[in-house]
Amino acid sequence: MAKYILKRVGYAIVTLFVLVTLTFFMMRLLPGDPFTGEKQLPEKTMAALNAKYGLDKPVTTQYIMYLGNCLHGDLGLSLNTNRPVTTIIGEAFTYSFDLGIRAVLMAFVVGVLLGTLAAIKRGRPADTICMLIALIGVSVPSFIVASVLQYFLGLQLYFAMGKTVHLFAVTGWDGFNSKILPVFALAFGSLAQISRLMRTSMLDVLGQDYIKTAKAKGLSQKAIIWKHAIRNAIMPVVTVLGPITASVLTGGFVVESVFAVPGLGRYFVQSIQNRDFTMISGTTIFYGAFLIIANLVVDLAYGLIDPRVKLEEG
Amino acid sequence: MDKIDKSRFGWVGSDPEHREGLSRPSITYWRDAMNRLVKNRVALVCLVFIILLILSCAILPFISPFNSREQHLSETNQSFFTPCEDSRFEGQNHMHIFGTDKLGRDTWTRTFEGGRVSLMIAFAAVFVNLIIGIIYGGISGYYGGAVDNVMMRIVEIVNGIPYLIIVVLLMMILKQGTFTMVIAYATVGWTGMARLVRGQALSLKNQEFVTAAEAMGAKPSRIIAKHLLPNALSVIIINVTLAVPSAIFTEAFLSYIGLGVPVPMPSWGILAQEGSQVFQVYPEKLWIPAIAISLTMLSFNLLGDGLRDAFDPRLRR
Amino acid sequence: MAKDMNKKVLSVNNLHVSFDTYAGEVQAVRGVTFDLHEGEVLAIVGESGCGKSVTAQTIMKLNPMPPARIPEGDVTLGDVDIVNASEKEMQKLRGKEVSMIFQDPMTCLNPTKKVGKQIVEAIVHHTHMSREEAKAEAIKCLTQVNIPNPEERAQQYPHEFSGGMRQRAMIAMALSCNPKVLIADEPTTALDVTIQAQIMDLLAKIKTQINTAIILITHDLGVVASMADRVAVMYAGKIVETGTCEDIFYRNSHPYTQALLKSLPSVDADKKDRLVSIAGSPPDLLDPPKGCGFAARCTRCMHICREEQPPEFTIGDGHTASCWLLHPDCPSAEERGEKDV
Repeated sequence: MAKYILKRVGYAIVTLFVLVTLTFFMMRLLPGDPFTGEKQLPEKTMAALNAKYGLDKPVTTQYIMYLGNCLHGDLGLSLNTNRPVTTIIGEAFTYSFDLGIRAVLMAFVVGVLLGTLAAIKRGRPADTICMLIALIGVSVPSFIVASVLQYFLGLQLYFAMGKTVHLFAVTGWDGFNSKILPVFALAFGSLAQISRLMRTSMLDVLGQDYIKTAKAKGLSQKAIIWKHAIRNAIMPVVTVLGPITASVLTGGFVVESVFAVPGLGRYFVQSIQNRDFTMISGTTIFYGAFLIIANLVVDLAYGLIDPRVKLEEG
Repeated sequence: MDKIDKSRFGWVGSDPEHREGLSRPSITYWRDAMNRLVKNRVALVCLVFIILLILSCAILPFISPFNSREQHLSETNQSFFTPCEDSRFEGQNHMHIFGTDKLGRDTWTRTFEGGRVSLMIAFAAVFVNLIIGIIYGGISGYYGGAVDNVMMRIVEIVNGIPYLIIVVLLMMILKQGTFTMVIAYATVGWTGMARLVRGQALSLKNQEFVTAAEAMGAKPSRIIAKHLLPNALSVIIINVTLAVPSAIFTEAFLSYIGLGVPVPMPSWGILAQEGSQVFQVYPEKLWIPAIAISLTMLSFNLLGDGLRDAFDPRLRR
Repeated sequence: MAKDMNKKVLSVNNLHVSFDTYAGEVQAVRGVTFDLHEGEVLAIVGESGCGKSVTAQTIMKLNPMPPARIPEGDVTLGDVDIVNASEKEMQKLRGKEVSMIFQDPMTCLNPTKKVGKQIVEAIVHHTHMSREEAKAEAIKCLTQVNIPNPEERAQQYPHEFSGGMRQRAMIAMALSCNPKVLIADEPTTALDVTIQAQIMDLLAKIKTQINTAIILITHDLGVVASMADRVAVMYAGKIVETGTCEDIFYRNSHPYTQALLKSLPSVDADKKDRLVSIAGSPPDLLDPPKGCGFAARCTRCMHICREEQPPEFTIGDGHTASCWLLHPDCPSAEERGEKDV
């Protein structure tokens, strides 16, 4: 087990390092330097800024400085607002995290249940309906889901109800009614993916010999599903939780923009449109680090729930 | 007991022609898969839809009277089936079937030309991934051992980096354009295919017919091309089909957040992005590209599912 | 016979089982009849695909229905009519009255549950014992099947057990509620030869110690000889010959039984007795032959064999076989024109 953990942590560190390096050199490749933007800065200020960020030094020195700064949590100043990138991330990510964690939870719980239901009712109408929903989920991009929900449930429903009650708020992130639509829009794709995976995995498990053994013991279908099948069938789903987190996070870019949630995703899209390079590279590193750590947590959790992993050597 | 005539007890002996119990006709793997695919109505409908879509994206923009970039500033944001009243088309009775956008450009033409751009990007990206994946995975799986170990570690690291973020970074640096999109997608998208091909190669290379080929002195390159690939082909076909929707999605996503193809060029992502800006007033401007994207992704997903069922009856659930 | 004095625990009468597949109806079992008495070991022998396992699983109704169907026949366990029993009733029977061990112990235990827990589960389900009592009972079961350090082993996962150990744990689980009938579906096929002997010894010990009736399903005639009281030879979904071990080994009369025995190597055989394989393979039960199932492969096949199914002929006490050669009207080999091939 210790070896397994060490290996996973090692991978995470190397991946992080590669990501930071990649970001640094990609930013270096940008046409001009970060301070020759649209606004013409006076010569003196330029020099001062260049000195501050070490842009007058050779690339290797800059690189090492950059690594050091990243380690200290200093990701530079936003070119647009002149505030430290870390502060902006700190403020905005609270919303994104709130939205994201709800979406991941919803995707996981509902996805697992839908997939299990479909597997048990295989070939019957319930299966077809669940899988149809899942198919729509994997085929419709999140920004479309978001817009559709916003238009019909947020806007048209409001008009239809005589403009009295906002059952679902169109934008923002404060009341509970403003959270339902963005969470669902963000979760839908992942939910669909999980339920498809869960169905396949559940069917696979239900065909295993040990399920027959459990049945031969006299256990009911319900007991077999809950005590024997779910835990084993859920394992492949746990392994995709890492990628799911990633897709929820990136899906947040557009969903936050559509629903005007003041989260990091919306900031990121805005800084892309404004070409705010320090903000972009800072956010990239933050997102990357977050996802790599999330992946690590998922891997370790997998090691905990599957007793067989302990024995694996490599 | 009834009396039975002696003649019926005449000896005939065993029947070599019928003693092999399995009387079902043996058919080849490919024919069998094709038979199953043809029986799968949904997958067939999707296949037909995809072919029609490709054809219309290729042909329709040419036979449309309008150019995708030409602006009719007198008739902006028109709805479906608006007759064209622009001075250049006077008396020709043309119609804006899908209406026009905020610059008065014909949405019908832009939708199909956008489809052409989106599909081209998607196909090219998947193709590049496929080539890299086959070469990388094939080498890794074929040689195994230390080579495989190192190569797979690299894949694992590349895989650990969230791909959309890297694509976003790349899109910032490179010049905007269709080619850039392909490059950006391919930089990180090949790992899945490489893993898949490696897995296939590993499981196949230990099979006896490969050992036999090796024993007869076949070169490694020949073994990869002649023996490993055909066997891995079904898995590859399925995954290519399923990779197309993800590439279409990436294009739409990037365009939507403002990193798409350069401005006058239409693509489904761009159309969706433009549509979303006005959709509270003109919702159909978003619905058209949204439906196009969704239907296309749905068809590819369904076709992929159908192919998987056809190639691997064990997975038929 | 002494066995007949014992109580009948299971009776299977003219059982038919079909599977509805894409290609059509596969008639896996086509009229199987046998009885099982307390403390008796019945061996069902035959090639793979002849319906042995399906018969066994139908006794416990483990085959998912659909696609499986029982178009005809009855199965009576104790005084319960299995064919018409509801799923609820079956759940009470399975594990308690009849239990089963399977071919591959590697895949039959849930990899993510501790072995002890999997046994406790069966005990708690069928008795009113508390978890603690059940745990003690489970450890007793593990001791009974010669698992060393049972307390410790009960806390381990299946992957920490060897193949033989797992099969023993399976047996412990199957016996945990003292079932009247134990079905062993090829219990040694997936194991090493030395381990096979250990498992068979264990089953023999159980047979003498507790009065459980055992249905032993196997394609290995060697295993049969050492344990079985009675043997049923199955072919193409039917029992072609049944009798005591001696009947089958020394007084057999069905050509299939004979061919099966000829294909069995033995240490003390004369060198001129060569091993003979049976050419061909069992018929496709999607479209079963009109006449005798074995006709196409039988070297002594006659016209009638291809046209009509042979009825069951009684040869001796409890010894029956289904072959036209046993018909009283059947003339001598010479008259039939039989040639040695």
